[in-house]
This record gives sequence, structure tokens and C-alpha cells, in this order.
Amino acid sequence: MASKFGLAGGIPERRVRPIWDAVDSRQYKAALKLCTALLAKHPTSPYVLALKGLILERMGKPDEALSVCLNAKEQLYSDNIFHFDDLTLSTLQIVFQRLERLDLATSCYEYACTKYPNNLELMMGLFNCYVREYSYVKQQQTAIKMYKTVGEERFLLWAICSIQLQVHFSIGGEKLLPLAEALLKKHITSHSLHEPEALALYISILEQQSKYDAALEVLSGDLGSLMGREEDKLRLQGRLLAQACKYTAASEIYQKILESCPDDWESFLHYLGCLLEHDVNLPKSRTSEHPSSLPVDSALALKTSLSDELVESRLASALSFVQKLQVNDTSDCVRGPHLASIEIERQRCRSGNPTDRKFIEALINYFHRFGHLSCAASDVEIYLHMLSSDETTELLDTISRSFDASSLSVKGLGLAITTFKVQELLGTFFSKSTTELQHIAKGMVEAFYKNLPLSRDLDPQESMHGEELLCMASSILVQLFWRTRNLGYLIEAILVLEFGLTVRKYVWQYKVMLVHLYSYLGALPLAHRWYVTLEVKNILLESALHHILPQMLNSPLLQQTADLVKDYLKFMDDHLKESADLTCLAYRHRTYSKVIEFVQFKERLQHSMQYLSVRSDSIILSLKQKAESLDEVESILENVNHGARLVELSNEDNVKRFTFNEDLQARPWWTPTTSVNFLSEPFDEGSTPACFRAKACEHKSTEKDDSKIKYAERKALLPRLVYLSMHGCASSLRETQLNGSGLDTDATEMKPLLLKYARSIGYSIDDALSVILGMSSGKKSVKDFTPDIVSWMSFAVFINAWNLWSNESVVPRADESSPSSWQIVDSLVKICVEEQLIDANRILTSPGNNIPVLVQMITEPISWHLVVIQSCVRSMAPQGKKKKKGGPSERPNVPRLQAIQRSVQCMIDTLRSVQSWLSDQMRPEEQALDILLSYLQGGNEDGPGQISCILEENSARHNPELGERIAQSLETWSSAGVVRRIVGAEKELLVELKKICDSKLKLLASVSASLSSALH
Amino acid sequence: MTTIRRFCCDDLLRFSSVNLDHLTETFNMSFYMTYMARWPDYFHAAVSPGDRVMGYIMGKVEGQGESWHGHVTAVSVATEFRRQKLAKKLMNLLEEISDKMDKAYFVDLFVRASNMPAIRMYEKLGYVVYRRVLRYYSGEEDGLDMRKALSQDVEKKSIIPLKRPITPDELEYD
Repeated sequence: MASKFGLAGGIPERRVRPIWDAVDSRQYKAALKLCTALLAKHPTSPYVLALKGLILERMGKPDEALSVCLNAKEQLYSDNIFHFDDLTLSTLQIVFQRLERLDLATSCYEYACTKYPNNLELMMGLFNCYVREYSYVKQQQTAIKMYKTVGEERFLLWAICSIQLQVHFSIGGEKLLPLAEALLKKHITSHSLHEPEALALYISILEQQSKYDAALEVLSGDLGSLMGREEDKLRLQGRLLAQACKYTAASEIYQKILESCPDDWESFLHYLGCLLEHDVNLPKSRTSEHPSSLPVDSALALKTSLSDELVESRLASALSFVQKLQVNDTSDCVRGPHLASIEIERQRCRSGNPTDRKFIEALINYFHRFGHLSCAASDVEIYLHMLSSDETTELLDTISRSFDASSLSVKGLGLAITTFKVQELLGTFFSKSTTELQHIAKGMVEAFYKNLPLSRDLDPQESMHGEELLCMASSILVQLFWRTRNLGYLIEAILVLEFGLTVRKYVWQYKVMLVHLYSYLGALPLAHRWYVTLEVKNILLESALHHILPQMLNSPLLQQTADLVKDYLKFMDDHLKESADLTCLAYRHRTYSKVIEFVQFKERLQHSMQYLSVRSDSIILSLKQKAESLDEVESILENVNHGARLVELSNEDNVKRFTFNEDLQARPWWTPTTSVNFLSEPFDEGSTPACFRAKACEHKSTEKDDSKIKYAERKALLPRLVYLSMHGCASSLRETQLNGSGLDTDATEMKPLLLKYARSIGYSIDDALSVILGMSSGKKSVKDFTPDIVSWMSFAVFINAWNLWSNESVVPRADESSPSSWQIVDSLVKICVEEQLIDANRILTSPGNNIPVLVQMITEPISWHLVVIQSCVRSMAPQGKKKKKGGPSERPNVPRLQAIQRSVQCMIDTLRSVQSWLSDQMRPEEQALDILLSYLQGGNEDGPGQISCILEENSARHNPELGERIAQSLETWSSAGVVRRIVGAEKELLVELKKICDSKLKLLASVSASLSSALH
Repeated sequence: MTTIRRFCCDDLLRFSSVNLDHLTETFNMSFYMTYMARWPDYFHAAVSPGDRVMGYIMGKVEGQGESWHGHVTAVSVATEFRRQKLAKKLMNLLEEISDKMDKAYFVDLFVRASNMPAIRMYEKLGYVVYRRVLRYYSGEEDGLDMRKALSQDVEKKSIIPLKRPITPDELEYD
């Protein structure tokens, strides 16, 4: 931090060093002491002041830090300042940035740059300020100024990057491209270029203007030698040629690439595309979040305009080329040219030669060569779907004949797994009978055990041979459950995976499946426990949190959920704060391509739908946790500017830019997205494998669907609605404040929010009103509105709150006998909760049960309603600090008090009925255990239980071939132990929910008492 | 069939099947992005025909004089794509860049002394244990510093093993 002249910010370095040392070792108190002492000697030194600000900020005193830094800024601006350097400014900048006052840092640098023009260091500081503020135009201007001052290539390129950012992120930005090109050209004429990244930027400027020939010329000229690797240069050349429609030349280039990198699949696709002359715009976007179809499909879907003969001859030449590549390769690890044969045959089929057997032969050859690899089936997935059922059978037979199932070998095991995988991918398991399926699943588990000796000498960290078998077996068992609804299968599906984790505890694929299975079964604490062992952190939170969060949000495990949410938000917030610093770093290291990429990525994360959603969830969760204390609710809302910011974030512009960053690949087949679970739907006997696959794909591609977005929008409105509800009620009941001005603003704000809320469920406000009226009076069936029932209940709660203080009559009342808005809420809550309690099924034995809905009803609409009640009651109780000095005595509004009293009673009754239902569900552990275990003891040839028997027998058997380590881990296996944990976890959920009811009942009892005393 | 290309930010959102593996550390964002910003040629992803991330390698180039060298910070391959020498391909790429583009003298890497499968793999790729770093991993486990000489180091001086183990504070670079 010290300058080389022995002065730091105008202060002798030896005086400053101890302060920095103390800061670096986090001895903030000591640092502050030293700094204060130094400040006594140099009371107006901006540098020492900035240092003090920095220390105060680290000590967690942001307000003091800000005021000290503002003082430093003032000193800087004053005329008597004798020392002005970047060290002072950068120290101030650090503090201002941490205080989220980038604007102050920027203005300091702006001032300095005006005062000392042509100071490069200060200008660079200013440039970085603009990078942090994402001010691209100012970035460009500053960079150009630096370029003009010192004429260095890098500053010109900083300017060009800033232009590129405008092209990407501002409307009409592309108009600047010619300017960027001209600037570069002029510089190149006089100085040439010296960095590969600079060349790449230049080419992309040309490419964006479709000046492909010019770009090619640059590349083949002197500048082309800047490209470090020949392959990279060729790839770029190929792309430019293809875009310029110079297909012959392009295909020759790609051929060259393939000769040196025969495994480069992307280049092969380009090669083929160019041969068939439809490679235009082929470079696929890497930003597509969920490719709905595999890229090869879309890339080659374009129809060629060539004649059939020409296509045939070009495909033939391509084939002979890849065959040459195949022969050249002896390593057996280069799959590209072999897959290429299949693709070429597929193209032949497409262009009118569908009859010959070359396509299936190419596939068979592929499996013959690579069938033992774990990725063999997924490599050729799209091609498999083109086979007829006879061809599939032929393929499977051929693979099966290629190995000896009775002997132990890694290769044979690999091939056996591939045959299963092919069937899984094709969905053929869906057309098999339950008996056959059981047989297959059993075979998989047996094969796993039989092949364990192959792994005996592996390191415990290494994945074992045949691990996929247990995933597939479990998957089949889930399907059997879906079909038969026999709970035993679901338990076995779990047992198989737990068994696998007993053998080797690191298999994340097992864990992910278990997370979903336990969630579905209602044993969420177990799901959460496995999820925790996955150690999902940092960026994985954005892509993998979806495995657990949605279930947790609807559970009574409020604290664990709050922790998940907190970790995620901390990661996202921190990253978005530091992201621009990394862009500065990319500028500094002249990695221009990454400058643009980093900014794009920041945009992508900033507009993540999950991010917005979880920000709402986080507030809603805190409200749920503290709903029984009005003061706490108030302070939570106060900390988030009463929910107003969230409402802003859910505006249409932002919603349109939502990104979906979840990696859905690892989700199990029965729940392809967070909002879909096939197991909750009836099994459709008539559905064919193909239509099942189509369904799953469709769900994945419509992940961005409306209903999810609407739900996120709705959640973003909630905190504000809760705030307005309680605020409005409180004021409305105070007669003295009826004419308060705040009330009107609240009332005018509530209406549009409620309109938006109703619209997000798909209704106009009038229709929505008639829905809640209809449901509460029993004229409309609650069942018809099931998916959004919790939102409907909340809506009714907010309508009631609004009605309390709105001048317009919100709820149409025909006459005095029509229900009041209080009664609507009461009766809706009662009906909806009762509906959930009717289901006589035992939670224990009915997976996919209604606990999540019940939890939401209690923790959301009922909680919000209790907040409204509390705030009404508080505003009417003239005791304590709320009492107005010398004000007129407040007369209670008796009819309203009675309505509240009735509502309180209704809530008490409802919650009590939930409690007694919950108590009824809880059984002694042994009894529950027996019930679950009985599902596995059918003794029936044709039911669940057989696989758990195999697991039990295998673990008990002493098999010396397994080696000590595996044998020891097997000894610990116990099916009953797993089932016991399930029972425990389900009970844990019920107990948590009961606790929530308890605390609400306690609150209601006290409210009821104070209401009684007010009324009598 | 693997397309090996520069690692990009979007890959961070698609590499969960690689990183959920317990041996693969998920670093914080500034770590990945610093590597991308400073050594973009040392950070590569391998993608499958279905455009899935099969694995990746991240590294850097650093040092002075004859200790100017490439360093492998992490190399990882998803379970599904193992046992087909993908790590080797990625390592070779990094070696080639260190050798040809940056004219480095050697490539080095650190590995847990207990991670025998990895050590065996690196040995097969031509790496030798240059020295042992005592309690390198969280102050508990020893690390092995393994090296492979590149063409600049004609006499292969860089890989003559040190006789004694060193402590982490004796390391030249972080």
C-alpha cells in the first residue's frame, strides 16, 4: 500500500504501515487507535480520514464510516489540499463501494481527473469507477481520453470493449460498430495489434457487421499470426467462411481441423453442414439455458438446397473421410469419427435413402466399439429414437450377444448396463408388464452385487463398477409404484439407493434421487439431510438448489429453509457486488472477450427468476417465523422498505428478462421440473414410451412457462400486501385518524396490487371476488381451484383488510344478511382447511400427501389474517405507549369488534381441528414401523419385498471375494433401520407443524381475552 | 467426440454433474472468474455431442526465469465420461499451451498424498513427484508437488526430486 517514495497519501509510510498491518490482521480496535492518533497530527489529511473510514466500515459501523469518508471527500475538494493521489482515492473508493455508494467514489475520481487532467493513474481509477457502475458511454469516453494521452493499444481496446457493451446492452448500440472499426483500423495502420485478444475483438467487430471477407482477410494477413493455436485460427476461419457462404473452402478448413482433432464433434457438424451447404448461422448459442432438443437436431434440421445426387456424393466423400479418420486412430478413445458415421447415415436416410440398413449397422458398430462406456447410450440418444421397435430389438440382441453375462468383466458389465440404458432412454420399460419389470429390477440389483468383486481393489474414493445399476433399479421401482400405487415399491426404491450409499457413501446420483424420493414420501428431513451431504455451494446454489428448495418452502421446517435461503441470497448478493471488480480485472489483464462475457453473465444472474423468487421467499419466511409478534413483523418489513422494492422488481420489464439457470439434467424422470411430478398424476396405461418421453421433454422446454412466472410475481407482491393490510387496518380503526392522509395513499396503492395479484392467478378482480364469494358460500367447489387454493385464501385475507379501510365498497353486499368480508375469510379458511382434513388416509402410508398444502394454509393466509387481527386489536387497545396523550377517549367500534371476535373463534376452531388431526396421525414408532415393513412382506411372488430380501441376504452373506472394505460396509446394512428413519422423519414434520399451530393458538387465546374485555 | 473449448461463465451453470462429485471442489466465483480473466487459455471445458459439460481443466502460468511454469489447479471429469482418457486430453492441452505458447519450463500440480488413483494417473501422464509439501491440505494432509518437464527444460532440471519435504510457507507461489 505504500508508495515507493516513502510517502503514503502524503503521510510518512512508516506511520501508515502499522495501521494497515493491524487492518490486515483484523485487529480493528488497534488500527482505530493508531489511526486516531495519526489523525490528531494530520486532522485534515484525506488519506488518514479515508483509512479511518475503512476501519470503521470493517468494524461494522457503516454510518460513522460514511460520515468520516464524506469529511475526507470534503477535504479533497478544498483548495488547501497539498497532496492528491490515487492511494487516497482508491482507499476511499473501497469504503464507498462497501457502503454501496459507488456514486460518491465516482464523483471523487471525476473531481480529481478535472483537477489533474492527463494523470493516467487517476483516469484508470475513474475508468474502473464507470465499470463498477456499468456506465458504458462514460467508460468509452474515459478510455479514449487515456488512449489519446498515451497512445497505448490497451486503452483503445478498453474503448472498443465499452462500445461492444453498448452494442449488447443499449438500444441502437450497433450504430457504434463502424466507429469501433474505424478506430481500430486507424490504430492498426500506424501501430498494428499485438494481442491475440485484440485481434479476436477486431474480428468480432467485423463479424457483427457481416463483413466476413474483411475478417478473413485480417485473419490470413500478418495479424493472423497472433492466434496462439492453429486449431483456434482454423475454427475461426471455418466459421467466417461458412457465414460468407463459401462452403467449399469452409469444409476444407473443417476437414483440416478434424485431421488434427478427430474428436471435435462441433467441427464435424460444421463440416457436414458446409458440405451440404446449410451451415449458415450454425454456431449455436451457448446461452440457451435448457436446450429443448439436442443441438445436432436443430443444427442439421435445415434442408439443403442441393440435388439428391450431389447430396449423396458429398455424403459419400464425408463418409470416406471419417472412415480414414477411424482407421488412423488406434487409441479406442476417439469416438467422434464413429459417431460421425452414424450422423452421415442419418443424413442419408433423410435425403431419401431410408431403406438400406446402413444406419442401424453404423449404430451397431458404435456399440460394438464403445458399448462398454458409461456414456455410450447417451452419446447416441437422438439416433436411438429413430429406430423402429424391430430395429431396437435387433440392436439390443446384438449388444447382449456381444458379452458373456455369466463371467465377471468390467467390459461385460459396461455392455450389460448399456443395454439397460438404451431401454431406459427409449422408455421401453413403460410397455413392460409389472412382473417383467420386477424381474428386471431384481436382475439389476443382483448384477450390482455380483459384480462388486470387480471393485474390491479400487480406492474408496473412486466410483465403483456398476453403480448405475442401482439408479436404474430404483427408477424402475418408482415406476412400479406409479403404476400400482403399492407403497412397498416406493420404499424399495429408497432401500436400493440407501444400500448403494452404504457400500460407497459418495455417489451423488443416489443422493439426488433420494432427495426427491424422500420429499415425495413426506420424509423431508431425510431429503434435507442427503441434500446437505451434496455440499451444494457457491454457483451450484443457482443451478442445483431446485432439488430441495421448493419442497422446503412448503414445509414446517422454517429454520432449515431460512438457512438455505440465506446461503443462496448471500452468494448471489455478494457475487453481484463483486462482479464488476472482476470485469475490471479482465480489463487490466486485457482479456477483452471475458469483459463482455462477465457483464453478460452478471445480467443473466441478476435476472434469474430464482433470485427474485427467493428474495420474496426470504421475507415471507421471516414473516412466517415471526407472524405471532406484530412488532417483529413490523421490523422485518421496515428492513425491506416495506416490500416496495420487491414490487418494483416484479414489474413487467424485469419479468420479461427473467433467466432460468437451474440445471434440470440431474432431476429424476418423474419430476422433470420443479412444478411437475408425474407421481401425483394417475398412471396412464395407454401412454406409449414415446409419448411419455415427449411429455417429459415438453415440461423441460416449458420450464419458463407462465404459471411459474406468475407465481413468482405473486410472491413478490406478498410482503407489500401484508404491510399495507396491517398498516391500513391499524389506522382505519382509529376514528381519530380516519382523515389521515397516509391512509388514502395506502388505499390507492392497495387496489392496483390486488388487481395484479388477481391477474397473476388468471382473473380480473371482479371475477376473483366472485370466486372467493362463491367458495366461501359453498356455491363454488374448492376443488376446482385447488392448485392456487393458498393464493385464493391469501387474496381473501387481503380483500378483507382492504375492505376495512377503503372508501369504496370492495365486497358487493346485496343486503345486511350477505356475509361481511370477515365472514368470507372465516368461512373460506374453514372450508379449505377442512377439505384437507377429510382425507382419511394416513400420512404415513400416503406419499404425496397434503401436509405441504396444509402447512402453507396455516403459515401463509392464516398468518396474514392473524397479523390483520393483531393490528386491528392493537389499534383499538388504548393502553401502553400507543395511548395518545390527552386525546379524546377512543370508542370501540362494537360491530367490528364482534366480527373480529367471531373470526378469532373461527381460527381457533380451525387450528384445533388441525391439531387433533395431527395427533391422530402420530403413532407409536414401533407400530408405524410395523405398518411400513408390512408392505415389504407380501410374501407374494408378484409384489414388492423381493428386492429388499435380496439386499438383506447379500449383506448378511459372507463373501470373501468382496474384499474387506466392501464386506465391512455391507455389515452395517439394515432395511429396518432405513424404514425406522423414515417413520422418524415423517413424525418430525408433524411435530413441527403442531408446534406452529400451538403458537398460533396461544396468540389467539390472548387476543380473544383482550377482545372479550373490550366488549364487556 | 468431445469438443474442447475455452471455459465460459455459462458453463458454471451447467457443470453440476462434474462438481457434485465429492472430490471436486466448487470454488467461489472470484476464483473461477479470476482464472478466466487472467489465464483464459488455461481454462477449458470438454462438451459432449448433447452439449453437456463432460469435464474441465483450470490452470495458470506463473514464475520467473527457469521456474516459469504452467500449473494445473483443477482437472475434473463427470462420472459418466470417465475411463475414456478425457483428463489426459485436457492435461495434454494445458501442457501444449504451456510449452508452445508460453514457453514454460515445466507443468506442475498438487495432489493429496492419499489420492492414489490421481497420483497413478499423473504418473502415467509423465509426472514425477518433485517434492512433498507437509500438511499442505488444511494443515492436515501432505500434498505432493508433481512435475513434468517441457521442451524448454532440455536437461530436465526442473523435475529432479527434492531430497527433503518442505513446509507450505516455503512454497514460491500460492
